[in-house]
Amino acid sequence: MTRGTYLEPASLDEALRLLAEHDGAALVAGGTDLVVGTRQGKRTLPETLVAIHRLPGLDGIAEEDGALAIGALATHDAIERSELVRGRWTALADASAIVGSPATRHVATLGGNLANASPAMETGAPLVVFGAEVELRGQGGSRTVPVEGLWAGPGRTTAAAGEMITGVRVPAPADGSGSAYVRLEYRRAMEIAVVGAAALVTIGAGAVSDARVALTAVAPTIVRSPAAEGALRGREPTAEAIAAAAAAVHDAATPISDVRGSDAYRRAMIEVMARRAIDVAARRAAGEAVPIPATMTVGGTR
Amino acid sequence: MATAAQTKFIRPDGKDKVTGLGRYTADLTMTGMLHACFRYADHAHARIRSIDTAKARALPGVFYVMTDKDVPDVRYGPFVEDRTLFARDVVRYEGEVVAAVAATTPEIAREAAALIDVDYEPLPVVSDVEAALADGAPLVHEGWSGYSASGDVVREGNDASRSTIVKGDVDAALASADAVVKERYVADMSHAVPIEPHAAIAQWQGDRVTVWSSTQVPYIARSGVATTLEIPEGHVRIIVPHLGGGFGGKCEFHYEAHVAALARATDRPVRLVFSRSEEFFAPDHRREGQVIELETGVMNDGTLVARRGRLILDNGAYSADAPFFPQLAAMHAVGPYRIPNVSVDASLAYTNTTPSGSVRAPTAPQACWAVEQHMDSVAASIGMDPVELRRRNILKEGDTTATNQVLEPIGAAETLERAVELIGYGKALPEDEAIGVGCGWWPSFGGPSGAFVKLNGDGSGTIITGAQECGTGAVMALPILVAEELGMRPEDFSILAQDTDAGGWDAGASGSQTTFNNGRAVIEAAREVRAQLLELAEEELEASREDIELVEGAARVKGSPTKSVPITTLADKAQGDRLLLGKGSGSPPPSPDVDASGCTGRLGMETFAAPTFITHAVRVRVDRETGVCRVLEVAASHDCGVILNPVGAEGQVEGGVVMGIGMATLEGSIVGEDGRQRNPHLLDYKLQTSADAPPISIAFVDAPSPYGGPKGSKGTGEPPCVPTPGAIGNAIAQVTGARVHQLPMTPERVWAAAHGVDA
Ligand SMILES: Cc1cc2nc3c(=O)[nH]c(=O)nc-3n(C[C@H](O)[C@H](O)[C@H](O)COP(=O)(O)OP(=O)(O)OC[C@H]3O[C@@H](n4cnc5c(N)ncnc54)[C@H](O)[C@@H]3O)c2cc1C
Repeated sequence: MTRGTYLEPASLDEALRLLAEHDGAALVAGGTDLVVGTRQGKRTLPETLVAIHRLPGLDGIAEEDGALAIGALATHDAIERSELVRGRWTALADASAIVGSPATRHVATLGGNLANASPAMETGAPLVVFGAEVELRGQGGSRTVPVEGLWAGPGRTTAAAGEMITGVRVPAPADGSGSAYVRLEYRRAMEIAVVGAAALVTIGAGAVSDARVALTAVAPTIVRSPAAEGALRGREPTAEAIAAAAAAVHDAATPISDVRGSDAYRRAMIEVMARRAIDVAARRAAGEAVPIPATMTVGGTR
Repeated sequence: MATAAQTKFIRPDGKDKVTGLGRYTADLTMTGMLHACFRYADHAHARIRSIDTAKARALPGVFYVMTDKDVPDVRYGPFVEDRTLFARDVVRYEGEVVAAVAATTPEIAREAAALIDVDYEPLPVVSDVEAALADGAPLVHEGWSGYSASGDVVREGNDASRSTIVKGDVDAALASADAVVKERYVADMSHAVPIEPHAAIAQWQGDRVTVWSSTQVPYIARSGVATTLEIPEGHVRIIVPHLGGGFGGKCEFHYEAHVAALARATDRPVRLVFSRSEEFFAPDHRREGQVIELETGVMNDGTLVARRGRLILDNGAYSADAPFFPQLAAMHAVGPYRIPNVSVDASLAYTNTTPSGSVRAPTAPQACWAVEQHMDSVAASIGMDPVELRRRNILKEGDTTATNQVLEPIGAAETLERAVELIGYGKALPEDEAIGVGCGWWPSFGGPSGAFVKLNGDGSGTIITGAQECGTGAVMALPILVAEELGMRPEDFSILAQDTDAGGWDAGASGSQTTFNNGRAVIEAAREVRAQLLELAEEELEASREDIELVEGAARVKGSPTKSVPITTLADKAQGDRLLLGKGSGSPPPSPDVDASGCTGRLGMETFAAPTFITHAVRVRVDRETGVCRVLEVAASHDCGVILNPVGAEGQVEGGVVMGIGMATLEGSIVGEDGRQRNPHLLDYKLQTSADAPPISIAFVDAPSPYGGPKGSKGTGEPPCVPTPGAIGNAIAQVTGARVHQLPMTPERVWAAAHGVDA
């Protein structure tokens, strides 16, 4: 028989204490992964839920010492609308803007997206290209991990029992940078990335001085493509150079076949998405105002 | 035309539905109510060695665990009696009900269902229609020949129903044609996906049971309960609260008897509510997969001379109402064209998958998708514009169909012209866009239907009808027709519907027939009331009834408007000793003559009574690199006779178009070799969202049918589903240069076709 305990702490400290006290307790923020997953039978509901969606002070989006500081409870809607994010961390706005539907985005949080650790998550690839760090806090104190170090595999994180994500710190890209996130979707809302790619391109003196490329839904976690990044560095961002870089993403992409697409299709598509993401990032670096979300401009459902 | 034609009637139940106040079956709660849960087959095909329910029964909160042994030994089915309420000896698809639990909470019921031990001996799974009909294929029903069946069904082994349409000499005509095009198309299984899942609640009082059910067909559900539980039909009452859509998925008798049997066994009301995934795999009403082979001969001037077709439809594990599908699909394999030589052979193959049944325009969108793409291929073979090819062959008044039905005045050609005009066929487009066109047809279904109309003492009226409102607004719009007969306003009438103890028999919300048949019934009932009112008015006005008219809520002497009496006064006078009550069923319109001597497996579809004709033109953008396509604009032109309620008719077209876009691009079940659906949920069975819906422009062509419903109307609910996928397929092929031969035309399939990859 299912009979659960639902706890609503008033402060972060209380939340951490409850989490530590109750064996097997889980956090619930927007509930859009947890509740839906339970309904679908993907998992059983944890016996104790610690609800954090009303905790004060964890939904901020602000600039701190030149970096972007986002609280774990910031919703995708708030991220998408933030002028700060749209202006300098554009790929993240591209990602949050296409999560689910307007209703999903109003309740779903950044912390939940990261902790759910789906290889198809939207915000992962942008945060990877920006070199974001995740703040984890437990009763014993807090620590910081690079975002790539958060994921242990599909649905698994390296957070210890009793630890929660409190926020994310995203360094500012260098001057002359542009970024973009593009996913392959089959319809215009309520989608899940079939594959996706984020790119951060920095241009100095007509050539790419730095590039980062990260891939969604082609490996057990979000992965970077060093080969694609290497292919871009030092080159002029021409169509040929971008296509060559995109063709190099196969070093990191090891897609599977499932009902959403075959591995062969995903392999072909990750190259297309990477090319489009790099292209938009380069155009944005050059000052072009490509609308957010980029998927609605350069994706198939535009 | 009549004033009804001008009426823009906004349905009165809309506000409740959009504000969440509407009460659906799953919202109802009875005192002491238990919750039901099914245990389904663990295999798509297996012999049951034993069922042990002891652990489930021992779980606290469980009141009953029911299996085949607890219900009468009855086989049932509308055409072929091939099924039982609970699995008996053999399970034949994943959604077959092996046992049912009634418990105090849904969670306990689920837990108990999982605790039932079933020991199986797995049997070979037949999941492919062509394999099913191959020599030596394992039989899905070993005992098929012993099942009683309607005498008109031609069946043999795994072929549950075979039909042919033969006219002229196809071989000779193909041999003499200037060009012959042969193609093969495959359509996957898809679903109705109403927003409300199946739900039923049963409660007994003595030996009578009331079932609240989310059914589209309450009278058929009533018969089903009576037949399978062996109780008199008069002891069964079916009530349908608000119905949250059906699209055919809630046609036929489904789970009302299971719930009634559990309620009787426990002496408690019992409620069953389906989850979304059950909705996909369990009910016997999904849209069937098809394999369609077409061969067409054409002359260089575009004259079609011959069509050969071989179709295999997927029946699934049991025969719901699908046995008439082969004949219907065969008619669609010919399409709305003049073809003098025809030979189509269509079969319905049993497989170990979810049974098929009528879903909005059964067989047509799939068959039409193949035929309309094929028409474009035929046009290409002689270098002719595809619209021009259609223009030269589309059916016109006086033409004969493949079953030699001589056509009444019809507007098929006009729908083609209007649709291409609305979309601007031939206009310059960006290189990744194209316009595709598809034509289709669909019959109307005349039949008996019952209604009463009464006027109350205060002059208000009540329509008591057997018709079922499934969301189309058809029942909601009946007051337009009644009000017009009585010189009253539609809002003067309330409706009592969806209660088998109240209304007269009706076939239910199926076959686009509610307005067609029940509209006729309410008009006839209203005419009886009209006669009663005129009789009363004769006394009041001292005039003879020929001189009295009913207008603006009053009976008045024609030509002298001051001599009048309000209907409220007449109704008040009648109260007590004279009932203002009319009844109607109205004879169904006559059926047009056909000569179907060349056909076998005749189940009524050789006649397309009061046929509707449809042309849809779509503008599509295809992302060549990914195969993702987006429908940017749709022009829909329909000849569905006289339009009685433009708001309702336009709503049907818009909904049907969007449903067709879904079927064309994304909606399909992926079935594993184990016979199980792999995407029975809305994340991976992708419907269109409101963000995807394109602008739709609509043009109705008024072609009143002598065989039609009220005022020359024809069915409007199903036709809008028919030609959209074919039109989209044609647009995709124009952009990519490669035809997609499998439905749905998913991005991966479009990409694979365009890049010459096997998908
Ligand atoms: C209709 C729909 C559409 C969706 N579309 C998308 C999409 O397009 N792209 C996409 O990426 N996702 C999508 N999602 C998934 C989901 O909305 C996102 O992952 C969302 O960001 C999850 O946030 P949440 O607050 O709802 O998480 P919850 O469901 O509350 O939690 C998810 C998991 O994270 C844990 N958790 C939550 N907060 C924290 C924290 N602060 N620290 C540690 N652990 C925590 C929970 O215990 C749980 O395991 C969709 C979901 C739905 C229902």
